[in-house]
Amino acid sequence: MQRDVGSLPLAPALRARLVAAGFQTAQELLETGPCGLSKEIGISKEEALEALQVVRQECHGDAARTTGGSGTTRKCTALELLEEEQAQGFIITFCSALDNILGGGVQLRKITEICGAPGVGKTQLCMQLAVDVQIPECFGGVAGEAVFIDTEGSFMVDRVVDIATACVQHCQLIAEAHQEEDHLKAMESFSLESVLSHIYYFRCHDYVELLAQVYLLPDFLSEHSKVRLVVVDGIAFPFRHDFEDLSLRTRLLNGLAQQLIIIANDHKAAVVLTNQMTTRIGQSQSTLVPALGESWGHAATVRLIFHWDNSQRLATLYKSPSQKESTIPYHITPHGFRDVQAPAATQNAQGTEMNPRKRPRREEQEL
Amino acid sequence: MAAKKLRRARLSQELCERLSRHQITTCQDFLCLSLLELMKVTGQSYYNVQKLLCQVSRACAPKMQTAYEMKLRKSGNPSSAFLSTTLPSLDEVLHGGVSCGSLTEVTGPPGCGKTQLCIMLSVLATLPVSMGGLDGAVIYIDTESAFSAERLIEIASNRFPTYFDSDEKLFCMTSSIHLYRELTCSSVLKRIMSLEEEIISKKVKLIIIDSVASVVRKEFDTKLQGNLAERSNFLARGASVLKYLAEEFSIPV
Repeated sequence: MQRDVGSLPLAPALRARLVAAGFQTAQELLETGPCGLSKEIGISKEEALEALQVVRQECHGDAARTTGGSGTTRKCTALELLEEEQAQGFIITFCSALDNILGGGVQLRKITEICGAPGVGKTQLCMQLAVDVQIPECFGGVAGEAVFIDTEGSFMVDRVVDIATACVQHCQLIAEAHQEEDHLKAMESFSLESVLSHIYYFRCHDYVELLAQVYLLPDFLSEHSKVRLVVVDGIAFPFRHDFEDLSLRTRLLNGLAQQLIIIANDHKAAVVLTNQMTTRIGQSQSTLVPALGESWGHAATVRLIFHWDNSQRLATLYKSPSQKESTIPYHITPHGFRDVQAPAATQNAQGTEMNPRKRPRREEQEL
Repeated sequence: MAAKKLRRARLSQELCERLSRHQITTCQDFLCLSLLELMKVTGQSYYNVQKLLCQVSRACAPKMQTAYEMKLRKSGNPSSAFLSTTLPSLDEVLHGGVSCGSLTEVTGPPGCGKTQLCIMLSVLATLPVSMGGLDGAVIYIDTESAFSAERLIEIASNRFPTYFDSDEKLFCMTSSIHLYRELTCSSVLKRIMSLEEEIISKKVKLIIIDSVASVVRKEFDTKLQGNLAERSNFLARGASVLKYLAEEFSIPV
């Protein structure tokens, strides 16, 4: 109640008038009442009433916060967080080596950034994740929906159809092997059509559309509360050209990162971004580093860098708060993102959900 | 979309006037400001500004479509999803051919056949749909002056002798291939920007640019400072316009 008038979310002109008239705390405003306020400041009674309602709302919010009641503050003990983190699922990538270095898969409520040279597999992984997030819970998935924001136009529906078909078939095999009630029931609703209809696709042609879409995302996610994954494929592309004012770019990117973090936390979703690589020219040599500059590096919680080593694709975990830095090879097959197969594939029909590659594969060609 | 005037985003008249006094006329300017700046400029309270932001965002945000709808649309007319190159192994590797609606890049050392492939694709695009073509015009932007009309006719008459049996058919085919010779980066960019109207008026079904690298390498020497940024700027701008054209009209580029 002792809140300073200057900090209330009123229109600036009104605030200036209140301060000039000598009001200092919110308490004083509420005591004066609308008629008195309108006479003192010279605004209409309706405006005064509106202002008082805003003030009252703010003070109620404050009071609730001090008693720790409403959920606007995000404070809880570390024990509660631990329980939450252990209970929440991961989005598996179908490549068990990658899941292992990530600590189980792509984490919810965190921003994961995937950087890499063109053609190395970033969009493939995004499409794989958009399918994997929909795996029902009895198979070890998160049973959520996916939002795919595309700025580069590299989303091919036919490829998603291939990946989704392989995923559905895989779950079908597990269900048939285990023959459990809930598995079979889940398979009824997990089909190609349902997978495709739960991927919400937005095509943004420039950074203004991207900004607008991210502003509208919270409303969209409140309507579609089952969304557990937001993919922004190509966050660097619209920001890398046509920007003379680099400070504006940094400001917009930081704002974007903040909003994505809020979305990830509020809606219990994982946010996956893909970034491009740029060349940093050092003293004697040039190295490939993620684009968008140093300050953008702070936005993502987990950073994966994909690169080539001769003809083998490698993924390096570059930044993570809980896992150590390591590199693993991976393949992109007609069925999607997979591990590198050891020469003698083990035949184990009862593979657990977290190691799906143990299913025998007979005709598998590398892309 | 970005240059959409705020008037059309259905903001009130007085608000638009007030904003234009601060040089904010398009959605782009509006969305680039932070919340506090917006409050100062519009003179509204915090909650009102958030509502305004949602309104303006809705005016320029893209439409949502599910992957399922996209698949249905594509499978609705399967013949228009790819332009078959008539080379069976190439078509198999490309999953059907040159895909419509996205950019395909052909690279290679000099003399390996890129321009020949482009000429052949132009012929294929003018063929009717029953023969695997796209039945439309072709825009060919040539930066190396490597396009030869005689070679075009030679390919057409040797490859499809039964179809191009009369001179008339040959002339018809050649008149639907529009050739533009551009020799500088800026003229290429200008030409690409002006393509939208031409595509609609001439019913173009294929755009070929031969080649992007030659004109860029001629003008931008990477050893000079500052040229790298300009070059990537030019390339990115051209790429985004071409992507937009490819997707909007569902044609291969």
